[in-house]
This record gives sequence, structure tokens and C-alpha cells, in this order.
Amino acid sequence: MTLKIETRTADGITVVSCNGRIVFGEEATALRDTLKKLLGSTKRILLNLAGVTYIDSGGLGTLVGVYSSARSAGADIKLIGLGQRLRDVLQITKLATVFEVYDNEQQALAAFQRGAA
Amino acid sequence: MAFHPIPGPASEPGSVAFPSLVYVQGNDQRSITLDHTPFTVGRKVDKDLVVPDPRVSRDHALILSEDGEFYVVDQGSKHGTFVNGERVQRQKLQRNDRLEFGVRDVAYIIFHPMHATSNTAREFLSQISGIHISTETTDLEKLTLFLEAARKLNTVGVLDEILVTLIDVTLKLTRAERGYIFLKDEQGKLHLGAGRNYKGEPLLDDKTISHSTLDEAMRANSEFLITDTSQSLDLAGRQSIVAFDLRTVICIPLRKPQVQTTRGTEVPLATPPTAELLGALYVDSRFASRDITSVSNDILRAIATEAASLIENARLVQAEEAARRYQQELSIAASIQQKLMAVTIPEVPFAKLRGRNLSCKEIGGDFFDAVNTDDGLAVVLADVSGKGVSAALLANTLQGMIYSQLTAGMPLPEIVAAANRFFTHKHIGEKYATLIIARIRRDGELEYVNCGHIPPLLVCNQEVIRPAHGNLPVGLLADATYESDRCSLHPGDRLVLVTDGVTEAENARGDFFEDSRLEAVAAKSSTLEDIFSAVANFCGGTPLNDDCTVVELLYTG
Repeated sequence: MTLKIETRTADGITVVSCNGRIVFGEEATALRDTLKKLLGSTKRILLNLAGVTYIDSGGLGTLVGVYSSARSAGADIKLIGLGQRLRDVLQITKLATVFEVYDNEQQALAAFQRGAA
Repeated sequence: MAFHPIPGPASEPGSVAFPSLVYVQGNDQRSITLDHTPFTVGRKVDKDLVVPDPRVSRDHALILSEDGEFYVVDQGSKHGTFVNGERVQRQKLQRNDRLEFGVRDVAYIIFHPMHATSNTAREFLSQISGIHISTETTDLEKLTLFLEAARKLNTVGVLDEILVTLIDVTLKLTRAERGYIFLKDEQGKLHLGAGRNYKGEPLLDDKTISHSTLDEAMRANSEFLITDTSQSLDLAGRQSIVAFDLRTVICIPLRKPQVQTTRGTEVPLATPPTAELLGALYVDSRFASRDITSVSNDILRAIATEAASLIENARLVQAEEAARRYQQELSIAASIQQKLMAVTIPEVPFAKLRGRNLSCKEIGGDFFDAVNTDDGLAVVLADVSGKGVSAALLANTLQGMIYSQLTAGMPLPEIVAAANRFFTHKHIGEKYATLIIARIRRDGELEYVNCGHIPPLLVCNQEVIRPAHGNLPVGLLADATYESDRCSLHPGDRLVLVTDGVTEAENARGDFFEDSRLEAVAAKSSTLEDIFSAVANFCGGTPLNDDCTVVELLYTG
């Protein structure tokens, strides 16, 4: 397993930090399971991908899958810490418009607060 | 894209190039592949099989191969060579033959053991049990030896045969009248696995046994349960015990062995009562017949432990057999898949199309296809997310959909929109494909639709253009919309399509091949081989993580 997932809470928002590779297989499964479990108790998740060194097509599929099912269930996932590679991939796949992406945690948390207000 | 059949285990009868020998000495056992002949046996240290026993001659015997048959030939040994107990000079070997050299019963070889079929399993078991037990051996030792040998040789393929043999042995040891084995199914319910009476006749009906005792044994934490109805008024009140005149009932819960280890000669430790229940072994006797209360606890304990591990082992063998069949099915599927994925490139006067795929070890999800239509020559390059059989299945479906719609003359954006609807509607879950469909007309007009794929390389006069046009991948979002892009090609212009296995090919330092290197080589050369050799040079010896597919469409005018 080449992915480490850490969860903490900041300003009432669940922050999930990924370190390592999000790839098809147990890594993508671990991320999906973690997020699905969290979505049972919270509707707001901030996903920090700053520690992600590589994401393959399977990993991207998981990310989009969880993201869109969370959306349709009324939950909100925001992304921060996208590396250049992931930005490129999102650009090629035209998925950049699908995700809500912020530059850093403060901005994302502020956006959550605005959304809640 | 390639789908490599996974080779099945080499245990399939008939498919093995070299027979195997199982050498059993005391409690040790090892497999030897008979990969050369003559195979020499003797006490001398330079023999292929050295048996260090004074009763074995220095040059004892040979195993030879002639016309595809194997023979054992005695080399004038003092104490003889035996096949299935008969002293031989030269003897053709059959599968499962038992070979002994001088030392009887202490060490022997089983020639090319077969995964037992139903009629040989029990014969084989009784053969083992019959041969190497001396007269002084106690019943307990017999049972342990018997079960241990059967378990180790792993030749018992049929669970039913194991169960019947186990009941027979247990009846012999306990002197009980009837014996049954119950096995738990996946839902945890007990089912009759086998039943026998002491005459060796099958018992198919368990209505006349004491189910209350059976239930109690399954609930209890003890290793076994003995009820003697003559001792207890309470028990005598139980319906079946009264109705069927049962005197003694012994019920042994069978618990899954905790750790599978090679044991020495000592009596194995009892399995903890918390271990998972596999089922129960039940024996009983009626008032009128035998008294079985005097059976020693040691024997019952040994039966409990050994029977459970034997059953568990038989189940593993069954599972292995099922897996082997599954592998066969899978390799048939793989060959069908390969045929489906084989591309016949149509010949057209105005364009040349070439494609090449380099598969990595794991099954990838790349495919390309070419279809000649009324609207021009169409080429499809797709990369289904993930790897393995699931990716291959999806690739096949997608290929079929696109092929049929291309031949039906559907507009490109509608083809991918339909595929997207199909994939998202079926909720395949996180599986998607990035793909490009390009179609070139005789007059040089190129229409293409890019769905989340690496932008194509348009090479005009050694200049590479990467069009920004693109859509979402197919199969991710139900409400995605798709548009195509068009441009005009001049004779000599090329369209190069690649999958991300090319741009993400890694070298030892972990760098990617990247778009820049791809563009440089595509601009210079018009052969796919040059692109592949550039990738190979870049990677050095680092193996590919993903399939690499490159397709080139040259417009000749």
C-alpha cells in the first residue's frame, strides 16, 4: 500500500490528507472507503492532495466517482494541494471544471464557511 | 491491447512434461521433478536420490525413460526394488505406483501422484494406511498416521471420499454402530455430508440420530461430547434417544485448524474451542448392540483434531481444483478477447493507417480499431481506466458499441454520447475510458472527437500541432456533452494518437517520457518503430507500467 490517509478536523470541516500514490487497486479502494465512511457522518470534506506523488487513471476514476456521488447526496468535497501533474491531467480530461479546487486550506475553509452561512 | 492468459498450475494430468516423484521418509515428504533420466537411486552420495540407509545398496536402482514410458530398473541391489509391494527387476511405472528401495515402509516414492479421482482416492488412502503400520501400533497411532499421510500427500481431491473414509476409520476405532459427518454451509447450517454404518453401508438419512446431542455439541466448547443414556435420566427423556433406542452418542465438533504446520510425531495440540466450526462428527450405538463408552478420550481428541484438518485440507484441494477450472475458462475468454481485439486495417487509396501496441505485464485497457465507412476511414484509440479483466471487459463492450455505430454512419459526437450514457446508466462504478475517434475523408477533411484523451499530434511539415479541443472522458459523468473538431489535412500530413502509457513511460529516475519528447520524435520520424525505440531508449531497462499504443494516420491524398 503506497497511500497514507490522515484525517483531522479544522473549523468543523473534516480534512483528509493523502500522501503517496492514488492508483488503481488497494490505494484507490482505501481512499474511496475512507471518504465514503466519512460521508456517513459529515457533509463537508476538504481533500488535501499535496502529498500525492502520482495518480493514475484508476485513481482519477475513484476521485471523480466519490466526488460526484457525494455531490448528488448533497455533500461537498473541495480539493487543495493539486500538483502540476494532476492539474495537467484534469486539464486533458476536461475535469478541471468538475472539481472545486482551492489554492490552500485557509481559502477552502473560508469557502466552506461562506457556503454554510 | 493484450490480454495474457495466466498459465494454470502444472498439475493438470497429461499436460506435464516431466512426471513428479513424491519421496516420503518418515514424517518428511518432498517432491522431486523427474527432469532427467536415468534418475539414480542409492546410498552413494552422487545419486539423484540418496537414501542413507544400510539396507539400500550403493547403486540400488534407476528410473529410465523409453518411448515416453518410465521404467524402474533394479541394479542388482541386495535387498531389492519393490513396486506396489512386489519385488521387481524391471517394471513399467504407472501413476501412483509406490516404489521402495531395500527399506520397506520406512522410505518410499510415489511415482507421479494423480489428483485423486473418486474411485482411487479411497484405495490410495487405505493403501497408505495398510502398508506402513506395524502390528504393535495402537489404534490412535494408526489413525494419526493414516490421516497425517493422507493430508500430507494431498492427493485426496474429493471431499466425499474423505468423509466416508473418515467415518469408516472412526467407526473402527470407536466400535460404534453408525457414523455421520455434518458440514456447515455458508449460511452456518449443518448438512449431512456422509453417513455409514459399521458394515460399510451408506446411511443417507439422519432422522434417527439425536439432533439434540448434535446441537448441544455444536454449542458446547468442549472437544467432544459423550452421552451415555443408561447413566442419565434427563437424557433418556430426549425424544430420539428414547424412540430409537440409542445408548451411546459421541459427537465431535470439527473446528478449523488454527495454524497449518508440519508436525512431528507428537500428538497435535488441541484446537482452541473458539476456532471456527466446520461441522461435526457424530457416532452412536443402540442399547441392543455395542457399548462404546469405553473409547479412550485420546482417540476422540485425535479424531477431533485430525478430522478437522483433513476436511479443511480437502476443502482447500477442492478450492484449488475450482480455481484451476476457472483459470481454464479465463484463458478461453482471453483467446476470444484477443480475437475481438485483433485489428484488420482497411486499405484505402487516400490514407495509410498503422497502429502498434506494446503491452506491459499486467493486462491493460488500451485498444484501437479501424473501420472503413462511407464517410471515410475511421480510427479509434481508447484507454479504459484500470487494468485486468474488468478493464478488458469494458474495452470489448466499448469497442463493439463504437464499431457498430461507426458502420451505421452515426455522427462522432453522438457515438461517444451514446457510449457515455450506456456506461453511466449501467453504474459500472468509477470505470471510464478516455478515447479519440478520428475519421478522415477522401478530400482530406479530418473530423475527430477527443474524450479526455491525450491531445493528438498533428504533424504538418515536421511541425507538431496539439489541438486544445477536448471533452470529458466517457463513462464518468452522466450529463457530459460532446463536441467534435475538424481540420483539413494536406497530403503528407499525419495524425499521431498515443495512450498515456507512452507519455508516462518512466525511466529509472522516475522521470516521464513526457509530451515534449514525444513531439520531438514524432516531428522527425514517420515510423512508429522510431517512437517505440525512443521510448525504449528513454526508459533504459525500466519496465513499462502501462500499455503503450501508438496509431498513425497518414493522409496521402
